[in-house]
Amino acid sequence: MFNKKRNRFGETLVEWTLRLSGGTTTLVIVLISIFLFTEGWGLFKSSTVEKGYVLCVNRSNKIQNLTPKQVKEIFDGNITSWKQVGGDDIPIEPLRMDDIASQYTEEEIGANFEHLPQKLSEAIAAKPGALAFFPEQFININFLGRVLPAETITLKEYFGGKEWFPTATPAAQFGVLPLILGTLWVSIAAILIALPFGMAVAIYLAEIANNRVRKILKPLIELLAGIPSVVYGFFGLIVIVPLIRSIFHLPVGETALAGAIVLAIMALPTIITVAEDAMRTTPLAMKESSLALGATHWQTIYRVVIPYASSGIMAAIVLGIGRAIGETMAVLMVTGNAAVIPHTLTEPVRTIPATIAAELGESAMGSVQYQALFMLGAILFVLTLGISIWAEIIRKEPKVQ
Amino acid sequence: MKLEAKNVNFFYGDFHALKDINMQIDSNSVTAFIGPSGCGKSTFLRLFNRMNDLIDDTHLEGECLVGDQNIYDKSVSVDELRTTVGMVFQKPNPFPKSIFENVAYGLRVNGVKDKKIITETVEKSLKQAALWEEVKDKLKKSAFELSGGQQQRLCIARALAISPSVLLMDEPASALDPISTSKIEELIFELKHNYTVVIVTHNMQQAARVSDKTGFFMLGELIEFNDTKKIFLNPDKEQTQNYITGRFG
Repeated sequence: MFNKKRNRFGETLVEWTLRLSGGTTTLVIVLISIFLFTEGWGLFKSSTVEKGYVLCVNRSNKIQNLTPKQVKEIFDGNITSWKQVGGDDIPIEPLRMDDIASQYTEEEIGANFEHLPQKLSEAIAAKPGALAFFPEQFININFLGRVLPAETITLKEYFGGKEWFPTATPAAQFGVLPLILGTLWVSIAAILIALPFGMAVAIYLAEIANNRVRKILKPLIELLAGIPSVVYGFFGLIVIVPLIRSIFHLPVGETALAGAIVLAIMALPTIITVAEDAMRTTPLAMKESSLALGATHWQTIYRVVIPYASSGIMAAIVLGIGRAIGETMAVLMVTGNAAVIPHTLTEPVRTIPATIAAELGESAMGSVQYQALFMLGAILFVLTLGISIWAEIIRKEPKVQ
Repeated sequence: MKLEAKNVNFFYGDFHALKDINMQIDSNSVTAFIGPSGCGKSTFLRLFNRMNDLIDDTHLEGECLVGDQNIYDKSVSVDELRTTVGMVFQKPNPFPKSIFENVAYGLRVNGVKDKKIITETVEKSLKQAALWEEVKDKLKKSAFELSGGQQQRLCIARALAISPSVLLMDEPASALDPISTSKIEELIFELKHNYTVVIVTHNMQQAARVSDKTGFFMLGELIEFNDTKKIFLNPDKEQTQNYITGRFG
């Protein structure tokens, strides 16, 4: 008894194919995230001074190292004394190669710059306050200055830095604070705009509209989610940006507000669909008992339907934020892309995804900028992953107050 | 408050669900409606608090009176009617709120703001529904933590809190175990003193136990309406006899 074996080869094959495809997909996704992080992590190991260049000081200078931020401030003329960066009270003389070379005639330097290393060396030795920036190849064996060690960027500088100048010389600045804040500003403003409209439409669709209206309206709204973001961006650029410029009397209309409005429109289908689905799960019996207690339709909506659907509504909001944070193209087109910390909604901002899209094409593979952009990608990944997990947790919460 | 149906015909679209029904229900009595599934007894019950208004494409001919008022008259406020004619549904369906807030709900939606009145009414209603002893220490807890039988008694307390004159019960015990059922039946018996109770049930013993009068419905018609004793011991119609003895249905 029970010993007749059936041939299950086909079943086994299908089962293994399914397992394999599931495994492969998961593996690919994991590998992509690992790739993102490993590419990005290199940033914290590389110097922000341009490749092939060095920073040198006079040998009498006691300064040991300069942070990228300090280097930039010195060359911008905002730091003028070595005292300000921990050295002696000597004024700083920032020297680029051109500044030095222009002091000598062509004969003195030589037709092939063969005397330039010598002249550079002398120039630095002559000026106790010198800070020179020139190509590494011009350092000869009897160099009279001192080469500063190449400083790498720290986590604190990356996440706390307020300046994003990825191609600045002598020291590029990679402070992502303006980008993170820009992303959050635009996304949160977008949700604040989208929420009242989204909820209104969701309530209308779930509770007020009759079946015929709902059957037309709901697929139409879901269709909006499928419109390519560049089209929304175009709409924003042509309609919303000029509108904002004339309403607020701004020199340019490309602002955080324009981005927020475009994102709000884009997040609406998500918010409406998820919230409406949640509201429609309210059992008819529950609504009936509310009405049977003498509650009006509107009282039933806000006292029974909305509390019952609250977790779904929260999930709708969070998913809307997630949609807004990751959105690239439309935001790139309408926010003005100035990497400064915004103070009002009528200023241009730049978001993380817009930065990646705008700059990745111009950065050399493996360069510091390239790594910084990958790190931005990693931040975005963590942000959106966190939001998705949050939404999942909210959605699974029991429907009880 | 007495109820009355005069030449009631009711349609779901083209479907003639209730056929020419006339009935008088006395105040402070328990009336049971029995009959096979789909016979229209729930539809008839739901006419008295205008619950059928919520269903699209239905219409009514004839008159339904609560007291002396035709409740389908244009001047009638449905919300107000429903505070006079309360209803308990088949499945326990508490709101996603605390036990206290469930009972207080009807008061709040009807504009009662006085906390003292609300607290007193909640306690009184829970006592009436024989639930107070079981929940008095956890009024702030979610109503979903109660058992099915307790939830149903909570729904009854919720309906009683707005002190209706009529209580419609649509198979209130069909989803419950025998112990919870007997508690609800005792409750119905008690309620008779102050309320006009109409109960739809599939359980004929239940109808026999709790009701004063019984109406037997079949295929949208009221076959027989009489004293419960008469219906169960010596019905006038053969169809009634067949149904209560289990020969069909």
